[in-house]
Amino acid sequence: MTTTEWIGARAPRREDPALIRGRGRYVADINLPGTLHMAILRSPMGHASINSIDASEARTMDGVHMVITPDDIPDHITQFPVVWRLPGQKDSGIPALAEGKVRYVGEPVAAVVADSRYAAEDALDAIDVDYETLDPVTDPEAALEEGAPVINEDWGDNVAIHHVFAGYNALGECHYDAEAFDNAEVTVRGRLKIGRHSGIPLETRGIVADWDEIHGRLTVHSESQVAHLFRTELAASLGLPETAVRVLTPNMGGGFGNKWDRYPEDLLVSIASMELGRPVKWIADRREGLMSTVHGRAQVQEWEMALQSDGTILGLRGKVINDLGAHLHSVGIGPAWVTGAAAPNQYKIANYYCNVIAAATNKTPASTFRGFGGPEGIFGAERMMDKAAKRLGMDPAEIRRKNMIQPDQFPWFNAAGAVYDSGNFPACLEKALEAADYDRVRAEQKELREQGVYRGIGISSYIHVSGFGPSPILGYLSYYTGGYEGSTVKVDPNGKATVYTGMIPMGQGTETTLAQVAAHHLGIDMADVRVVWGDTDQTPYTGFGSAGSRSNVAAVAVIRAVEEIKAKAVRIGAGMLEADAEDLEYADGMVSVKGAEEMRSVSLAQVAQQAYWAHALPEGDQPFLEATYVYDPPNFTTASGCHVVVLDVDTNTGRITFRNYVIVDDCGPVINPLLVEGQIHGGVAQALGGALLEEFVYDDEGQLLTTSFMDYLLPSFTDVPDMEIHHVVTPSPHTDGGFKGMGEAGTFPPGAAVANAVTDALSHLGVEADELPITPSRLWSLIQEATR
Amino acid sequence: MKPAAFEYHAPESVDDAVGLLSGHEDAKVLAGGQSLVPMMSFRLARPAGIVDINGISDLDYIRCEDGVVRIGATARQSALEESGEVTGCAPLLAEATGHVGHRAIRNRGTLAGSLAHNDPASEYPAVLMALGASVTAVSSGGSRVLSVEDLAGGHFLSTALGSDELITEVSVPAQSGGHGFAEFSRRHGDFAVAGVAAVVSMNGSGVESASIAAFGGTSPARLDEAETALVGSDGGSSAVAEAAARAASQFPATDDIHGSADYRRALIDVLTRQALQQAIAGAQEV
Ligand SMILES: Cc1cc2nc3c(=O)[nH]c(=O)nc-3n(C[C@H](O)[C@H](O)[C@H](O)COP(=O)(O)OP(=O)(O)OC[C@H]3O[C@@H](n4cnc5c(N)ncnc54)[C@H](O)[C@@H]3O)c2cc1C
Repeated sequence: MTTTEWIGARAPRREDPALIRGRGRYVADINLPGTLHMAILRSPMGHASINSIDASEARTMDGVHMVITPDDIPDHITQFPVVWRLPGQKDSGIPALAEGKVRYVGEPVAAVVADSRYAAEDALDAIDVDYETLDPVTDPEAALEEGAPVINEDWGDNVAIHHVFAGYNALGECHYDAEAFDNAEVTVRGRLKIGRHSGIPLETRGIVADWDEIHGRLTVHSESQVAHLFRTELAASLGLPETAVRVLTPNMGGGFGNKWDRYPEDLLVSIASMELGRPVKWIADRREGLMSTVHGRAQVQEWEMALQSDGTILGLRGKVINDLGAHLHSVGIGPAWVTGAAAPNQYKIANYYCNVIAAATNKTPASTFRGFGGPEGIFGAERMMDKAAKRLGMDPAEIRRKNMIQPDQFPWFNAAGAVYDSGNFPACLEKALEAADYDRVRAEQKELREQGVYRGIGISSYIHVSGFGPSPILGYLSYYTGGYEGSTVKVDPNGKATVYTGMIPMGQGTETTLAQVAAHHLGIDMADVRVVWGDTDQTPYTGFGSAGSRSNVAAVAVIRAVEEIKAKAVRIGAGMLEADAEDLEYADGMVSVKGAEEMRSVSLAQVAQQAYWAHALPEGDQPFLEATYVYDPPNFTTASGCHVVVLDVDTNTGRITFRNYVIVDDCGPVINPLLVEGQIHGGVAQALGGALLEEFVYDDEGQLLTTSFMDYLLPSFTDVPDMEIHHVVTPSPHTDGGFKGMGEAGTFPPGAAVANAVTDALSHLGVEADELPITPSRLWSLIQEATR
Repeated sequence: MKPAAFEYHAPESVDDAVGLLSGHEDAKVLAGGQSLVPMMSFRLARPAGIVDINGISDLDYIRCEDGVVRIGATARQSALEESGEVTGCAPLLAEATGHVGHRAIRNRGTLAGSLAHNDPASEYPAVLMALGASVTAVSSGGSRVLSVEDLAGGHFLSTALGSDELITEVSVPAQSGGHGFAEFSRRHGDFAVAGVAAVVSMNGSGVESASIAAFGGTSPARLDEAETALVGSDGGSSAVAEAAARAASQFPATDDIHGSADYRRALIDVLTRQALQQAIAGAQEV
């Protein structure tokens, strides 16, 4: 037992004082002596072949040191690979520059390195590229049609993968029965669309590469969320031994998954630095950030749900078409696969089938984005639940109650292959309904409608299979990296601790959380724990890093390393106290004789001193007081919860006004409620952006129309409602502490909750809000169609 | 997003400024920079020279003289919100200013700059049309006075100004009657999807005069058909509805990513009603 109960404390983020005062240090702030600046020439066209690139004038311009066209890239340089390569997935990599043709607006075509960014951009204007327009294809369904322009010739067509979930669960049992659909009393169909959007970090991407000719070493300052994997891939692509690459990560102004991926600029900047022997820097401006940082979410879904007339679900089947963009990126079609795996959601849907198709289009590649396909699956599931309820004349809460997996049914093997470890779904639903005063709001809704106020209530339950992931399962899924997280904990001779982690704090408070966990288990003050991150030379290797709600995985690595240190402290303490180790215990930063704590004890600091003096170490123990533990989770953890939204729709303008937003979240025991709430607030805000405001709009030529914040609309604080957050706690049975991943969960339910509420508000008109974002113009059109 | 190279000039008098403008092939005035600087950063604008008028101290004023509010070219938009002259003589202008971007933008942006830029979704050109305002434009050849309607009406992101002309002053006749203002924007502080400004005066028998202007289309527009429908009516709800319907059909609506032309017309209908109701209620109090 400890009295230093740091776990569960509302500890303020230790990152904040610097970040909030503008004292953070980001990649853009790194100005090494002699730095040169890179600017990228990007494709102005969605689909065109490149006949020639004439950079001769640019090469002679004042201040220009290097122009990189495809011909200038050394032959030994290879493309960044796709990490998740599901069987049957087409081959592609991430080229440094477009090879022979451009496939999306914003694709890098050439690069200039100059004394200043100004000079580099001037030189871009002097590069003459002869394009020949090709027919573009921007609609994912059109891309699948016979005769559609093929974007990647070596694929033969635009199908990046065609993956079928045929009802197999993780036990290998098949649960798909087409006849159940034919014979069902009721079948309900839905066609849904999710707009293309993405995580938009305040800090755009950027990189500084610094080649040291004397030591043969490349130091890269980057904001990769997964610095070690980045190092591995960068070294491989550059043809360097991995020991020759060091990746440093300064403060990160948000990542949201898209900084997990590798990008062309990472290679271009490194190539230039190695060639020129000087530091080379590139920082994305907002426009290129919006057009060249991976997009996400865009899907068309078609579902059919079979039910008994009492509301019992017999099966769910459907098709998910993922608008992939021009080519596969770092995680391949991973997000679309997760959509298929998540769509059974909280319900006892044994009979399941889902056809996942990823279609190439002339758009920016779509890849990692907070939630990673999960929110899309939940959107499908929860819209279908409401459609079924409406058809059957049931209350949306009632149909959920009826079909939910019960607390005694874990582990639950869903028919898409996912395993849910724990949860109490009905408790989350009931708590959310109660907090939202559901029955009263339903009653008021009727009266208000008579007064011309169209109020809607939307429910969305969710699961989030988090804490990626057991490495053998990643292997089984052809995900070519490990899912463990390591931590080294060192106690210095004065008894203060340092935690080394491969995780990168990008806003989720990793530094605070890991310090809390270490302090709690060491029984010392949180202020006495330092967390070291952001240097691949110092921190343990991770193939996953800050991604997919992984603080829970990293926390276990810290706990286990601390346990090893405590065991050693007890062994050393035994000598100091002249007692048997078995008679000792470690608590509150003290090693003491059980039952005689007051009389016979030594502090961690005293033990540490002995560990470093090494005058009388126990046999077999080496000096120092440190341990490394690499934790590979035995299974995923299942976070879950329920959101209830109350909102009004102005039928004249299509404007939505929030009235209430209630959240019940189950991420297991909460390490730090302040941080958990912050993550939920941010996740919900981000998802409301995708539900109401944010969309990358392309015209038919593949021109991106939303290249600034005047057109790509992020929610600001006046657009995000106050949120009321409650917790249900079901510990994960197989992680130390029972923690579950939670950094993404906020993004899962808002899309469906809002769409369900809007549909509910307009039920008298029969409007179905099936396409996100629900913009005022779009909603107004739906209302017009319904009232025509 | 780095501007192309340009020559920078910081004149201290209007004479020097217009001299520079006439001597330079391709020079642009820099006022608050809230529209020009982003356009230069995107390299959508590449002026060879910049004539920064912020150092011309005599242009920073707001005065009310003989029933006319006079606003100098470097007076900030935020000053309009706080100025007793504006809230007293042209309350429509003060109210609309609160809808222009965010406070940080208004602390730099100028009224004259907004008129010269003439973004069709901008509040000011339409509001000043409804108020019957005019501008003084000075060049090395002399000066002229143009109504805002002539300056901005029918233009898209451009005006009737010559490239060598500098707006030195915007003059707004004191508002006679009640005003109304309504706009729809995607988020607080965004350029409007559509908006309507109106000034209405009443006499014993009903609506005596009305001026109604809208923004958010292809250019700011005075909606005279709606005005005609309203003038002489009792200003009741059916007259307002009729005026709003005419406003919607006369409005030069257009499609963009924030809304279709049909949607914009529907908004103009709703917003005209709101603006007119507010204006008529205000006029009745006068
Ligand atoms: C985030 C953001 C949100 C905004 N939202 C809105 C909004 O909701 N509504 C709105 O109306 N505006 C909005 N704006 C624009 C803002 O109001 C600008 O300030 C205004 O459009 C231009 O004024 P300025 O003084 O900044 O002019 P500048 O940017 O300096 O100049 C704009 C143009 O006018 C010319 N010019 C400037 N002054 C003169 C002059 N005296 N004589 C001749 N030519 C001149 C310049 O040469 C240039 O071509 C927004 C701007 C930003 C950055």
